[in-house]
Amino acid sequence: MTDPETAPETPEAGGIPVAAEDVAWRRLDPRMLLIYPVRELVRFLPALLAIFIAGTAAGRTDWWHGLGIAIPVALGLLRYFTTYYRITAARVELRRGLVNRHLLSTPLDRVRTVDVTASLTHRLLGLTTVRIGTGTASTDDEDHLDLDGLPVEHARRLRAELLRLGDAGSEAAPTDRVVVRFDPAWVRFAPLTTTGLVLAGGALGVAAQTLNAVGGFDDLDAEGIVNGATGWSIWLAVPIGLVLLAILVSALAITGYVVTNWGFTLTHTGPRRHGAWHLRRGLLTTRETTVDDERVSGVSIADPLALRAARGARVSAIVTGLDRGRSASSLLAPPCPRPVVDRVAAEVLGTVAPVQTPLTGHGPRARGRRYTRASGPVLVALAVVVGAVAAGVLDTWWLVTLLALPAALLLAHDRAAALGHALVDRHLVARSGSLDRRREALAVRGVIGWNLRASWFQRRAGLTTLVATTAGGRQAVTVLDVPVDTAVALAHDAMPELLGQFLVSPETSAPSPAAPGL
Amino acid sequence: MTDSEARPRLREPRQRVSPRARLMWATSAGLEAVVLVAVLAVVGPITDWLPIPGWLVALVGVLAAAYVVVMPLWRYRVHRWEVTDTAVYTQTGWWVRERRIAPMSRIQTVDHAEGAIARLFGLATVTVTTASAAGALEIVGLDRGRALELVDQLAVQADTVPGDAT
Repeated sequence: MTDPETAPETPEAGGIPVAAEDVAWRRLDPRMLLIYPVRELVRFLPALLAIFIAGTAAGRTDWWHGLGIAIPVALGLLRYFTTYYRITAARVELRRGLVNRHLLSTPLDRVRTVDVTASLTHRLLGLTTVRIGTGTASTDDEDHLDLDGLPVEHARRLRAELLRLGDAGSEAAPTDRVVVRFDPAWVRFAPLTTTGLVLAGGALGVAAQTLNAVGGFDDLDAEGIVNGATGWSIWLAVPIGLVLLAILVSALAITGYVVTNWGFTLTHTGPRRHGAWHLRRGLLTTRETTVDDERVSGVSIADPLALRAARGARVSAIVTGLDRGRSASSLLAPPCPRPVVDRVAAEVLGTVAPVQTPLTGHGPRARGRRYTRASGPVLVALAVVVGAVAAGVLDTWWLVTLLALPAALLLAHDRAAALGHALVDRHLVARSGSLDRRREALAVRGVIGWNLRASWFQRRAGLTTLVATTAGGRQAVTVLDVPVDTAVALAHDAMPELLGQFLVSPETSAPSPAAPGL
Repeated sequence: MTDSEARPRLREPRQRVSPRARLMWATSAGLEAVVLVAVLAVVGPITDWLPIPGWLVALVGVLAAAYVVVMPLWRYRVHRWEVTDTAVYTQTGWWVRERRIAPMSRIQTVDHAEGAIARLFGLATVTVTTASAAGALEIVGLDRGRALELVDQLAVQADTVPGDAT
């Protein structure tokens, strides 16, 4: 903290309250002068390459080629010299831009989360990016309060002050309670997540595009590949290809897992109920998120089919006021063994019951709907295929698709087994899904409304889908296909005053003419 | 939670929307149906641009007409709303019916909107939003005067409840 900006007359963030107009605007750390130009250069890289290639092809190197480097560097420098921030007694303000002036300002009491991120270059220079979360619904990057380039120590202190963690920073460190710490053995769960597939898809896309850009597809000797492969039996080539693909996807998944989750640590700071959860993770880019206790209104334990088969799961927090589209920063534990997940979930909720209580099932009609919904479309499609084969339109081997029916039934069986709900310790618990199974526990205080949705088919079966809406996570916890009576009773037990006024006891209620087939 | 006899039932909201809402729904559905059938007829039988037979266009026309007649009547029977001192309660939909209840203390904004077709019939929509993206309550097809009254009433009521609504 020897920057010229921290002159004595400049109050430190959260120091003695000073009227807004008295607080001087401050620049970010001067070391950002190294980062911004490089970042702009990277952004201009495709254009630079084009200029360079065009220039070399023409056999000339004109002086203006230098502009291609000078302009991005100048833009980067400009960015530093036109970005200011200040923290007054009441507000955080960020001002940037030379031509398009942009002023972001938010009251301090609206600050809900503070993320401290450091990319590899930032880390080399001892800098961090501080993102101040206000729960904005905006997805525009320009609308986020990012203080890009503060010294690590300064960022830590700022975070503590913004979130009013009291004597934070170095002093509070010994009182931190570590709840979960990354174990390298967890990497075994990585290939069981979809991350690998997503990464592989992305990598393939980039590779294809690069190949296309350099005209690779024209040179690709398709016939040569086909002829070369004719020596191989299809029964050999396909399994080998699949195994290679599986290895590639797993390798990518493991890489992705390690890069994002290495060093994952979840700690709790301060007293049991009025502290904050503190998350840290990342191998190259480190990410630190701090969430106030008050803002955590539930947890969502996800154990998709593959992860479940290996007795793994992951858990994220339902955090109210977190910016939309940033659910990743509320991850409480990456894919890891189920007992670890359960322990973390119980710690975060402050009670073990919502995590372990056996759930009440939804009855035979709800289970039956899983089977009809899973097999119905498959049966229709298969009828078309069988008809086409019988009519000679399709080859006989299309009958392999009949295997889709047992697969659908197995899926339905698993989905039916998942259905369940409970209301324990003032938490609404709901579980559903198979490939994407989730057990969500939401504190009743986090519920901000109830939706009861039923299609005509559901009404005929006497079922309804009960949705507890909330301001965090996926915005709602859904109790799928629960008997109507149970749904009403559940919502009523959770919020008696709210539901009570709209209830009638069965004896006194005349059948309503406008509710056919309730 | 598990005793099954004499369980209370959730009744419907008390207020109905304006009867003119049926006309509004029929008009907008009718316009959509006319456009759909016209497009099909033009690209199909009239210009022969796509191989759509005339009978298919006629079938779509009949189904669309049935929709225009049935949907507004059904919808009108379902759509209801109620505002109490502590909550807003709505029932919407027709094939899929949805009931939504939001406590007054969780209301964030109250919107009043009049679409082009709604204005034709002197109707308006009142939307009550909460902090959850899954929790907006919409009352479609209110008489304009009634809607404005309701917005005022809700604004006053929501204001008197403390808290930041999340």
